[in-house]
Formats: sequence, structure tokens, C-alpha cells
Amino acid sequence: MEVDRELVEAAQAGDRWALEELVRRTHRSVYTCALRLVGNPDDAADVTQDVYLRVVRKLGGFRHEASFSTWLNRVTTNVAMSTLKRRARRFAVEGAAVPAETRDPAPEPSERAEAVALARRLELLVAGLPEGQRQVLVLRDVYGQSTEEVANAMGLTPGAVKVRLFRARERLKAELEAAEGGQVVALAGRRRATGRRSR
Amino acid sequence: MSCHSIRPLLPARAEELTVFEARARAEHVATCTRCATEAAAYSRLGQALAVMANLEVEPADGTLEEVLVAIGRRRTAVTNPRVLAAAGASGALVATVVVARAVHHRRQTRRHPVRRRPVSSRLRLPSLPVPTPALARAK
Repeated sequence: MEVDRELVEAAQAGDRWALEELVRRTHRSVYTCALRLVGNPDDAADVTQDVYLRVVRKLGGFRHEASFSTWLNRVTTNVAMSTLKRRARRFAVEGAAVPAETRDPAPEPSERAEAVALARRLELLVAGLPEGQRQVLVLRDVYGQSTEEVANAMGLTPGAVKVRLFRARERLKAELEAAEGGQVVALAGRRRATGRRSR
Repeated sequence: MSCHSIRPLLPARAEELTVFEARARAEHVATCTRCATEAAAYSRLGQALAVMANLEVEPADGTLEEVLVAIGRRRTAVTNPRVLAAAGASGALVATVVVARAVHHRRQTRRHPVRRRPVSSRLRLPSLPVPTPALARAK
């Protein structure tokens, strides 16, 4: 998700075109994050809309202390968690969050091909995790939020986050090994992924 | 330390461990092939999960358009002259009512000033019966 500071500043200044361009560039990322958290395409679309309504309200207060994508991720997390709490219902996880197709926002270097291929397979397995484990794993390991940030977003203690995280990683690794019939080590390849993390 | 003790530390990232835990894990993994393999697997799993942040799911057709319409509607609601005029008129009406009530209350107070009781009478405690031998006998 590439967002120029100038574009954000123009949107903050009230430029309608800039705001719409901001939405066009970021809506897939927001939708993806929402889908991973709520586990349901329809609700992910609702969350996406609510995120941008909140962005319109709060954009004036964004001070560029963090990157816009980091800020947007936090807004998405908060809206998704609020939606889940408000509706207070559990979604059927199996099959619900399986994306029909994933795509890369930018061409990946060839040396990352194996990590990207593994990440695509992981998408399906992550969607099948129990809701609480999935949310913690997505926020911590996919979007790089700190344990404290995850705890605040989910209304948990840091200790509870660590427990869920441990179980989610253990389960994911076991399921990946079962699905692929081998060790994650062999699947992941020898090369280290160079994925950009937002901290 | 034994494999049993180290096993709970294997899925953790380095920054999630205390210095003691990180050192214990590193020392054990250096001497235990099985735990080293597990640790490497978790490490690569973490790297692949990080790559997921760059993968995007295409939303259903119409999602983007719905978002643009929703934020356009909100912006229109805020900047539409009719909406602003209605909001201004409502505000003026509320302000008029508040001022009128305040003036009325002030006039009423001047015509019929409230006589406040002296502090001593307001704070007076209820008189309790003084315990006397006669009262005790009556009970």
C-alpha cells in the first residue's frame, strides 16, 4: 500500500479528488485486513466502509507521526473489533474467510517467490484458525502490532495475547506440515524473506 | 536446559523473550538438532506471515463504489448549504429558547425572591429523647 504524504495532506486540506484517490489506493489493503479479522466477506465490506467514514472524520487529526498505512491499519483494527463486539456473534470460520484470489500490489522479486507462495498457502490456513487465535496472529505476526497494541485492541491482557499467540503459531505450523506433508523448513525454502514490516 | 523446558519458547520471536529466555533458547538450539529444526520452522513461518501483509484480497465488485458514495454522502451532508442552513436555524432557535428562559427566570426571581432559611435552621439535627431512667422504664 503506497501512499504519498502529499496525497494525504491534500486530502486533509479538503481536496475531494485526493481523498477518493486515497481510498482507491488503500481500499484493498483495508478490506484484506478486515477480512482477516472478521472472517466474513460481507462484514469485511461493511467494516471497510465504516473505516473510511471514520477516516473522513479523523483525517484532520492525523499528524504524520506514524505512516499513513500504520494509522489506517489501527483504524481498521479498531473498527473491526468494534463491529465484532457490537454484533456479538461468532462467524463460521471454515470456508468463510477463504479468499477467492489474492494478488500482490507490486511485482515481487524472484528471490521472494517461495515466501510469497508459502504466504498464499498460509492465507487459507490462517482463515481456518479459531477466531481469537486468528485475530491475535493476524495483528501481531501479519501486521506487526506490538503485544500491548493487540491487547488493547482486543480487550485482553498481554499475557492472554501471548498464550493465544503461542497456540496459534503452534497450530498453524502443525496444520501447514499436515497440509503439505512435510516440514515447514523444507516448504519455506532456504532463502530468508525480505518482507517489509510496519512496526 | 531440557527440550521440554525450551519447547514453549520456540514459537516466540526474539523480542518476546526475556534476556534469560533468549539466551537459554540460543544455547539449547545450538546443541539440539531437533529443537533447532523446530526453531527454524517457526522463524520461516513468521517470515511468511509477514509477507502476508503485502498480499491483498480483491473485494467484491462494487465495494469501492459503495465506499466512495458513502464518504461523498457524508461530505455532502456536511458541506451542503441547505444542511448548513438548517443546522444554523436549529442552533439559533435553541439559543433563543435558552436566553428567553433565563430572562424569564431572572424576572420571576426579582418579583418573588426566594427566602432562604438561615443556615442554622437548615443544619439543625433532629432532637433526640434524652435517656432518662423514666424513659428506660417506659421501654
